[in-house]
Amino acid sequence: MKLFKVLLLLLVIFAGCNGDSKKSDEPKKIAIVVSTLNNPWFVFLAETAAKKAKELGYESKIFDSQNNTALETDHFENAISSGYDAVLFNPTDATGSVANATKAKNADIPVFCMDREINSPDAATSQILSDNYSGCIEMGKYFVKTLNKKGKYVELLGIVSDNNTWNRSKGFHSIVDNYKELKMVAQQSADFDRNKAMEVMESLLQANPDINAVFCGNDAMAMGAYQALSAANKADKVKVFGFDGAEDAITSIQQGKVTATAMQFPKVIAETAATFADEYFKGKRDFPKKKPVAVELVTKENIENYIGYGKK
Amino acid sequence: MSRPYSLQLAKFQSLIALFILCLALSILSDKFLTVDNGWNVLRQISVNICISVGMTLIVLTSGIDLSVGSVLALSGAITAGLLKSGIELPGNDLFIGFTMLGAILAGLLTGSVLGCFNGWIITRFKVPPFVATLGMLTIARGLTMLWTKGYPISGLGNNFAFIGSGWFLGIPVLVWIASVVVVLSVFMSNKTAFGRYIFAIGGNENASRLSGININKVKVLVYTIAGLLAAVGGIMVTSRLDSAQPNAGMSYELDSIAAVVIGGTSLSGGRGSIMGTVLGAIIIGVLNNGLVLLDVSPFWQQVVKGFVILFAVIIDKANSKAE
Repeated sequence: MKLFKVLLLLLVIFAGCNGDSKKSDEPKKIAIVVSTLNNPWFVFLAETAAKKAKELGYESKIFDSQNNTALETDHFENAISSGYDAVLFNPTDATGSVANATKAKNADIPVFCMDREINSPDAATSQILSDNYSGCIEMGKYFVKTLNKKGKYVELLGIVSDNNTWNRSKGFHSIVDNYKELKMVAQQSADFDRNKAMEVMESLLQANPDINAVFCGNDAMAMGAYQALSAANKADKVKVFGFDGAEDAITSIQQGKVTATAMQFPKVIAETAATFADEYFKGKRDFPKKKPVAVELVTKENIENYIGYGKK
Repeated sequence: MSRPYSLQLAKFQSLIALFILCLALSILSDKFLTVDNGWNVLRQISVNICISVGMTLIVLTSGIDLSVGSVLALSGAITAGLLKSGIELPGNDLFIGFTMLGAILAGLLTGSVLGCFNGWIITRFKVPPFVATLGMLTIARGLTMLWTKGYPISGLGNNFAFIGSGWFLGIPVLVWIASVVVVLSVFMSNKTAFGRYIFAIGGNENASRLSGININKVKVLVYTIAGLLAAVGGIMVTSRLDSAQPNAGMSYELDSIAAVVIGGTSLSGGRGSIMGTVLGAIIIGVLNNGLVLLDVSPFWQQVVKGFVILFAVIIDKANSKAE
């Protein structure tokens, strides 16, 4: 056993030296650690980052944390030991992921957070964040205006253990709750999932046949809710609001099926992160600690400017 | 004669539980006991029923299938992808388009092949079903991601959407499909030699082997049927949403196992029934629907559902002791 450990240690040292000798002539390597690939939005984020890294002349690899902070830790350890030079990081958890980013920092590997924040002032070199809370404030204002300040509505929440679920919900309610005649008659979770949203909406329509609107924490749920409304012949009476700017939702706004969504810009976020890594390799060190990427409201009035996940 | 007696008792208990649940919900909400809501619940559980029938057959042989959700996702995605854009064979400019029937058959074939593979691994290499199907859970999910590239496949046309949202003779098509699956499998499990073999293997595998039953063949067939039924469920979900989601069917294995257990089928095999599972699926469906109707907080919903499953298992234990 002891011999095995010594061998292993030698192997690690050898691998380490090997990595070092590589560094001078071979292209730098960027690890893209993403919270999940089970949601098209994050797939798009990770793939765009990888594409941009390649354009800039770097090797990159995508690591899927499967919404599991422990798995994320493994990815970081592997990335550090196999000689990656930077991490583009979409964290699983605002507090739980701090330790992982710190690990990389201590190994002199810069970390650039994408979309989701970690609660630490200096573990990440820079954080490029989508402003979910403010985006939903805009959404709330448009919601109030569209409904003429009165009516009944239901809310479909995302996964209830997810930060963004609550950032979105809180931003929305910070505006809408000021209008006493706008009454939320039910608040249910549909796990960011299209099928679950359809089922929950079907049941909600039984309990509340007279609602005027539904606010959904993402576009997949908005599409599911629309399908339930459409099957119940209520699509023209109930307005659907989503969040994300997914392709399905953009098409549905064009067709007048969905009222509004909030466009996040995964392409801008991912490309900014990759560009920051490039600048870091070239010697730049003074990055903004936080770079917010605004979320834009998409409605039928401005839909012609947008495509899925971005601007035309 | 103790087995038929306890079997009936288990069935009876699920029925009583369902009755009490419905009674309570009717009192708490005047929206629960309506025709529309009844169809809602039936449409919503039809997918789970199809999967759970397959799961019941497997559990009766004292196995388990954790891969149903992933197999469902892959089968649905294959059907959706072929329907929408066919296959382009690289190299020789060959394009194969698919009719709706062709795409559906390809989806069903996918599920059956994966199920058959599960059965083969379990019988050929003596891998415990829990582990073999755990492997398949990951494999099929990964294949779904590869096939869809991580993005949903949407816009599959009105003809295909008819399966998920159409009505036939006053009954939703989804409910027809589930009913046909249930009737066929009840017939198979009660009236055919194959059905008797399934119960026998779960009751006592060695005795069954000695009495000349080809255990491996029965098991492979059971897992194949379960894969096929997962594919049926996958096509139903895809049609209902008019979209194949790469993360479709996540944790469906748990809902399905819950339906089987609540329906009184013993996880140690040999004892249970398809109709019990159908009741179990209805109980879960009614519970999901009722908790939303009453606007119970999502946190509490999970707690309540967990307790219902535990309660069902405790009753099951008491039953097998009595036996």
